[in-house]
Amino acid sequence: MAGAPPLPRPDPLTRPFWEACRRRELVVSRCEACGHAFLPPGPCCPRCWSRRLAWRRASGRGRVWSFAVYRRTYDPALPAPYVVALVELEEGARLVSNLVGCAPEAARVDLPVRVRFDEVGELVLPRFEPAPGEGERP
Amino acid sequence: MSRRAVIAGVGHTAFGKLAGRTAWELEAEAAAGAVADAGLEPADVDGLLTDPGPAQGILDGITPHFLRLGAQLGLAPDFAGSELLGGAGSVAIVERAALAVEAGLCSVCLCVYGDSALSSPGSYGYGRGDEAAFGFFGAVGLHALAARRHLHRYGTRPEQLGAVAVAARAHAARTPHAQLRQPITIDDYLDSEPVVEPLRRLDCCLVSDGAAAVVVTTAERARDLGRPAARILGHAQAHRLATYTSPEHFETLPAARCGPRALARAGLGVADVDVALLYDCFTIVVLLQLEDYGFCKKGESGAFVEGGRIGPGGSLPLNPSGGLLAEGYGGGMLHVIEAVRQLRGEAEGRQVPDAEVALVSGHGLGMNTHATLVLGR
Repeated sequence: MAGAPPLPRPDPLTRPFWEACRRRELVVSRCEACGHAFLPPGPCCPRCWSRRLAWRRASGRGRVWSFAVYRRTYDPALPAPYVVALVELEEGARLVSNLVGCAPEAARVDLPVRVRFDEVGELVLPRFEPAPGEGERP
Repeated sequence: MSRRAVIAGVGHTAFGKLAGRTAWELEAEAAAGAVADAGLEPADVDGLLTDPGPAQGILDGITPHFLRLGAQLGLAPDFAGSELLGGAGSVAIVERAALAVEAGLCSVCLCVYGDSALSSPGSYGYGRGDEAAFGFFGAVGLHALAARRHLHRYGTRPEQLGAVAVAARAHAARTPHAQLRQPITIDDYLDSEPVVEPLRRLDCCLVSDGAAAVVVTTAERARDLGRPAARILGHAQAHRLATYTSPEHFETLPAARCGPRALARAGLGVADVDVALLYDCFTIVVLLQLEDYGFCKKGESGAFVEGGRIGPGGSLPLNPSGGLLAEGYGGGMLHVIEAVRQLRGEAEGRQVPDAEVALVSGHGLGMNTHATLVLGR
């Protein structure tokens, strides 16, 4: 590992998310007024502006909505190749993460995935791997 | 309607690696060129709007970009500011200048883009906030997500992205000041190094040192100057101030809202556009815009760009000076300048015959911002 990767700096809005990750839980911000589930968290619901927001535990299951295979290294702590995935959770919220546990060539849109938690420096990051039975196909 | 805004002068520096020249110096050169081209004197300038490139920053400490440039140019304008719309900034400052001129806030508004991005490495490899922890760096990663989605949803093929890159080089071959004038084939494209798949190196725009400027004034003033001017027939902006995790992101651009509006203001339709100057930071953005502006149906842009349609002599000449992919990274202002040259009939070896209507676009800030200009003779 060449040095530490750039880590998120939790602030009052995002800290509950990162604390949940430390407990190996994936949470989404949910608007209690209109039901909209979203990430990253914000000061109000971006759909109805209600400030009645709650953290809801997510199943950790979702699908790859899109992905990008980095063939160029931007940070020595994160050597290419790796896959950045935009994951759509069962709860409807999307988040940017990594697809791990399979070769970049096995990445595909709509691939069912589930969360796993990796310790990186001071933080625990949610990453996604193919759901059981969705591993690399011969 | 004598206060109708026109673009009366254009100027730019060389584009490429201009080591040892500061962005300020480049901007001053482009500004002087645009003012001289309009047949005006520095003392005539009473408006200044700037679009600082990514390596420059909108603020230097507490000094905004327009203030520092204005001080260096010795200006005391009646109207001034800097734009924060990323790649939509150059088109947006021309729009803002037009509004200011038509409202009588100023009469000769200088609009300047400039940067020394190639001599200031690292301008484009920025991490994206908390997402940098996952290796999500640079504008290229974001546009790769959009490209992957397009390939998946519509069956768009890499060769069709490549057709945009090939057309850009074919145009640039006829553009003396272009940074990359060597033509390429689809095979060259397919062989080019992957950067962030599905995007290859040849999908990505240039990084450049350089500056470009235009002068916006009234039609009446331009008539007195005796130089041909491009009329600003329509303009609009549309933004989607959302994160890339929002449901609409990556599939449509805000262009779908502001393109039709800008054309309607001009009393024109997409079929009236003779030459398109579409912001082309990545090939995929050209495809998305062709759809969202209505040049073709959603999902059909891949087929649309094949067969030379957007190349020299094609039915929709697109970025005849080579664009960001081959002419140089001019922040969008070079697109405005090429539109003016085409409408003036001053594009020499790349002139689109009888060009009467040009559409210019700007796109930026993580696919969140968009601006459109419709220009006429």
